[in-house]
Amino acid sequence: MSSSSPSGSGGDDLSERRGIPAAKFIQDVETYLSQSGFDSNSALAFHQERLQQYKVVEMKLLAQQRDLQAKIPDIEKCLEVVATLEARKGTGEVELGCALILAAYLKTFSLKVLISMLACEIEHVVSQNIVLASLEESTETSFKSCLIVTAEHVVSRNISLLADFEVSEGIYSRACIEDTDSVCLWLGANVMLEYSCEEATALLRNNLENAKASLEVLVADLQFLRDQVTVTQVTIARIYNYDVHQRRVKQVTPTAIAAADA
Amino acid sequence: MQLQGKSSGSEMEVTWQDQQNINTFSRFNNRFHELEDEIKFAKEKCDNLEDAGNELILADEEMVRFQIGEVFAHVPKDEVETRIEEMKEATCKTLEKLEQEKESLISQMAELKKVLYAKFKDSINLEED
Repeated sequence: MSSSSPSGSGGDDLSERRGIPAAKFIQDVETYLSQSGFDSNSALAFHQERLQQYKVVEMKLLAQQRDLQAKIPDIEKCLEVVATLEARKGTGEVELGCALILAAYLKTFSLKVLISMLACEIEHVVSQNIVLASLEESTETSFKSCLIVTAEHVVSRNISLLADFEVSEGIYSRACIEDTDSVCLWLGANVMLEYSCEEATALLRNNLENAKASLEVLVADLQFLRDQVTVTQVTIARIYNYDVHQRRVKQVTPTAIAAADA
Repeated sequence: MQLQGKSSGSEMEVTWQDQQNINTFSRFNNRFHELEDEIKFAKEKCDNLEDAGNELILADEEMVRFQIGEVFAHVPKDEVETRIEEMKEATCKTLEKLEQEKESLISQMAELKKVLYAKFKDSINLEED
């Protein structure tokens, strides 16, 4: 962009912002024209050109804004999926404890051994506590009924997550997602990295924050740009009006002189 | 919306304050159009969630395919119900906030219009085209 021409004093806060030159506000058109040595037409042409340049930059910024606005929901979706996987992970321990009970019954481990094996599994699950308490004072019958209760627990919870995903337009396939500690994230440029669930969440959150911050900066840039466009448009209008006014005055004066002479 | 003074030929003094007002009005107008789009989108989302909730009540399967990200996960009906409730609440709150912003914008724009028309009368056009 060309360097700004000298003009009447304006009160602009910034002379430019991230490569976008600010449009100088003109207090008085006459002073501006005499100072800069422009005549009306060349001043108009100059400002029109400036306007075009602003429009080009605006198109670019709008495209960037659209990209970012598409990217943010994508990242949020990824975060949701990782969160869901992490949540499912927690239920795995319950299955282990129930499986132990079943195994003990089938292979007749001693009760005491069984209780100690379960000791570390039971903190989170209330039903497991009930099983343990009844195991300690159980007769064979009560042990069996506890077993039935916990067996029902196992059956009603799926260990792995079933998901239907799109293979191609209109074609879906079923996936069985086992409990896992790690997820793979697509980083772009044909690169996919494996991360643990926590690391993945942290990375995705970071990306989301950055994207949102960039979007804010971009929106502020766009607002600044639009202000400059408005100022330029108003300047063009004022120069044009001034020009018309001058022509009118010129037309009136010769007629007045002619009348005075006659 | 045209902000340029059209050729009435009269010389109108434009002060820095006037320019600021015009700039502010332009910003408000742009934000107003963006808000309209956002409100439309949020309303659609709210309606979709409403429909989904109703379908859920009618459905008799225990497992519902719930969209998480790009895949449809098999999730028990109760969990789906809870999730949909949460999403509906969040969307409705966002919608309310957007509507409020739109109201305040409309009133602010009306104020500025008064000021600018008082100064410029015919030389300025602030209506939607």
